[in-house]
Amino acid sequence: MARTGSALITALALLAAGPALGAELEFYMTVDRTKVGTEDTFRCEIVVSNAPEGAVVQFPAPPEFEVLSRSESTQMSYSVGSGGMGQIKQVRKFTLVMRANRVGTLTIPPAGLQTASRTYKSEPVKIEVVAGRLAPEPRAQPRRAQNPFGLPPGFPFGDDDDFPSLGDPFADDPAIPRSDSDLFLRASLDRPEVFVGEQVTLSLFIYSRMDLMGVDAVQMPKLEGLLSQDIATPTNLQAEDKTLGGVHYRAYLLRSKALFPLKPGTIAIEPAEVDISSGVYPFNQRKLHRKSNPLSIKVKPLPAGAANVGKWRLSSTVNQTDIALGEPVQLKVILEGRGSLRNVVIPPLQAPASFRVFDPQQAEKTSVSRNQVGGQRTVEYVLVPQQTGRFELPGLTLEYFDPESQQVEKTSTDPVAITVRPSGTGQQALAVPGNPQAPAEPAARNQLVGGGLKSLRHSATFSAPRTAAWRHQAFLPLAIAPPALALLLAAIAFVRSRVGQEDEQSRKDKQAKAARKRLAQAEKVAAQGSTTDFYAEVDKALRSFLEARLSLNVTGLTRPQLDEAMAAAKVPEPVRQRVLGVFETCDLGRYAPGMGDASARRRALDDAAHAMEVWP
Amino acid sequence: MIALTLSLVLAYTPQEAQALFTEANDAYYRQEYPVAVEKYQRLLAAEQGGPDVLFNLGTAHLAANELGPAVLFLTRASRLSPDDDVAAQLAVAQQRQLDQVVGAQESDPFLQRLARAVDDRPITLGFVAAWWLAFGLLLAFVRAPAGRRWVLGLVTAGAFFVSTALGAVVGVQVWVAQSVREAVVTAPTAAAREFPGESAKVAFEVHAGLLVRVMEDTGRFVRIRLPNALEGWVEKTQVAPL
Repeated sequence: MARTGSALITALALLAAGPALGAELEFYMTVDRTKVGTEDTFRCEIVVSNAPEGAVVQFPAPPEFEVLSRSESTQMSYSVGSGGMGQIKQVRKFTLVMRANRVGTLTIPPAGLQTASRTYKSEPVKIEVVAGRLAPEPRAQPRRAQNPFGLPPGFPFGDDDDFPSLGDPFADDPAIPRSDSDLFLRASLDRPEVFVGEQVTLSLFIYSRMDLMGVDAVQMPKLEGLLSQDIATPTNLQAEDKTLGGVHYRAYLLRSKALFPLKPGTIAIEPAEVDISSGVYPFNQRKLHRKSNPLSIKVKPLPAGAANVGKWRLSSTVNQTDIALGEPVQLKVILEGRGSLRNVVIPPLQAPASFRVFDPQQAEKTSVSRNQVGGQRTVEYVLVPQQTGRFELPGLTLEYFDPESQQVEKTSTDPVAITVRPSGTGQQALAVPGNPQAPAEPAARNQLVGGGLKSLRHSATFSAPRTAAWRHQAFLPLAIAPPALALLLAAIAFVRSRVGQEDEQSRKDKQAKAARKRLAQAEKVAAQGSTTDFYAEVDKALRSFLEARLSLNVTGLTRPQLDEAMAAAKVPEPVRQRVLGVFETCDLGRYAPGMGDASARRRALDDAAHAMEVWP
Repeated sequence: MIALTLSLVLAYTPQEAQALFTEANDAYYRQEYPVAVEKYQRLLAAEQGGPDVLFNLGTAHLAANELGPAVLFLTRASRLSPDDDVAAQLAVAQQRQLDQVVGAQESDPFLQRLARAVDDRPITLGFVAAWWLAFGLLLAFVRAPAGRRWVLGLVTAGAFFVSTALGAVVGVQVWVAQSVREAVVTAPTAAAREFPGESAKVAFEVHAGLLVRVMEDTGRFVRIRLPNALEGWVEKTQVAPL
């Protein structure tokens, strides 16, 4: 920017350190290529030999070209001429790194050399410019890498393994932007095309020909569709010299990330942005904002059935193979290799049913070596045998897709034979790993820890939720019925008692009425002349009357007893005497028939009827 | 909707119900808790959900960490058939419950505990039987000859005493059922307001799984009382009656 497009004339005081007389002046201009692309840079060299003192080089300043940098060098040589005279030759070479601004056949105008006596001109140079880049693609060629993890001997990926070059930040030769060529931000990927789950490394560099104070902020792009993992996030910028198209730059690594595509297709990565402070404190300070180039990755799908990606090895260890019943066995399954460790799924252990398997504990340790992400995952199973015998823990097999060989590979662990002996205590022991309260005594391993949810019920009664029995519609009637029935019965008894009393009276009245009829019958008997029968009828009629009124069987009672009964029934004394008198007359009439004249019969009959009428 | 309607109308045969129950259990063991819940709910909708279905339904909700429905159905199961399993699940739910009711009574009032402690069916049936027996004996007592009456009198008095005692317990159950309405907070968070209305100030918050008493119902809001007598109005949809 500061050096482009300007027609500067640099005054050069050539130090002619005593050039020998007769040395000829040479002045010419050359280019290293005559056909370039618009994205290419080329060198334009202006050579001056044996220039006189005070000569000034006038550099060409064509508008069709951009001068990216300029440098100069001086060579001095001494030679002995034919006459034995020594000659000193001084050659000064000016190198301009240029780039064409447009396509076509362009001409670099002649350079000039102004001396005291005259002005020299070089020949113009024609350059054919085409669009794009003619120089070789600045991609890095595959290199052999060292052991990427520095893993111990025995690790499958040793130094001899073929290993693709990944993420060499200086393998990229970025094009110098037309603007901001002094300071620009460059994002690059170590490969343009990967498989799903395969690592591609994103690097973000600052290329600068300026003095930098620091980077104030870095805004990385959103990495949608990619799983990312930091490889390098330097806090102190370290400069690396880098020459781009002949232009010398200092390259600073800002960020390096390992990306793992999650789905096939083309994934675009937006430009990153940084805020940079340039200059030398406290002078000439400037705040600059730069934006990197966008990127895209072509992601190829995995073969059918492939899920894990990378290069992995699975191994296992067991702490003991001969154990007592109830004694725990620790089985460690170790997965290590390259790739996205988080995305790898280790198949679960299918232990025999005679083992109780506790939830495994996992530990992961990721590592980065030579920009290659990998790591190690340890899955530790604790198994407790539930019965004695010899059992085999089956091996585990992990299938993964190796992007390098582009094939689905397998790695497996070996099966482990476990012998379970009867416990020394004869106890069905069940140890719980990691229980801080586990007793130290061997005989006290039987720690049955409660908690958690109870098991479901597997048989059920499928009935509607029962309502309370007292909500049943029959409850209230059943509860009310007994007292209601009792009240009803009491009422009936009361009514019946009342009705029964009336019947007694009626019965007595009827009985009295019958007695009166009997008296009337006695009168008929008297008319027929039978005195004995007459008195017998009167006696019977009166006795029937008394029985009805006294509610008492009067047959067999003596007269005092009869009198007493009537007195108890509150029969007035005159009535009682009249009744007793009738009985006396009847006895005389029946047992002394001579006493029974008509008047006596009439009197007995009247007394009986009177007694019945006045009976209270 | 049609399936739901049919399920409301049609009852499952015992074999179908057991098959559905087993499917729900299998879904639970596959940790497909929503599927398990849906199948248990179908049994409930067909009025074929006894305490076992309620227990499994509450357990499925608990496994899915849905505390409100979990406590609701487990408590219903407990009321129908209290046992140790239900108590254990409820204890787990209580551990996960967010609310700590400060100053709560350690236990419910005596009458409520009495009403819950006794099984209503034998008590009710016993009361009816003793009640009828007492009145039958009373009738016999009235009609009995004078010489045998003292024995019958004692037996009758005993029957009346027993029936009255059982009737009192039934009466307590009726009173508790009619006057104590309990509910479980089913919303993850329910704001308890000072009066029923959206503009009312929020006095406190309760969370899913808390057992409360419903004191009053105004339609959209209900007044709840916590075990420590703290009261507030929450939306009716945020609680479910037991």
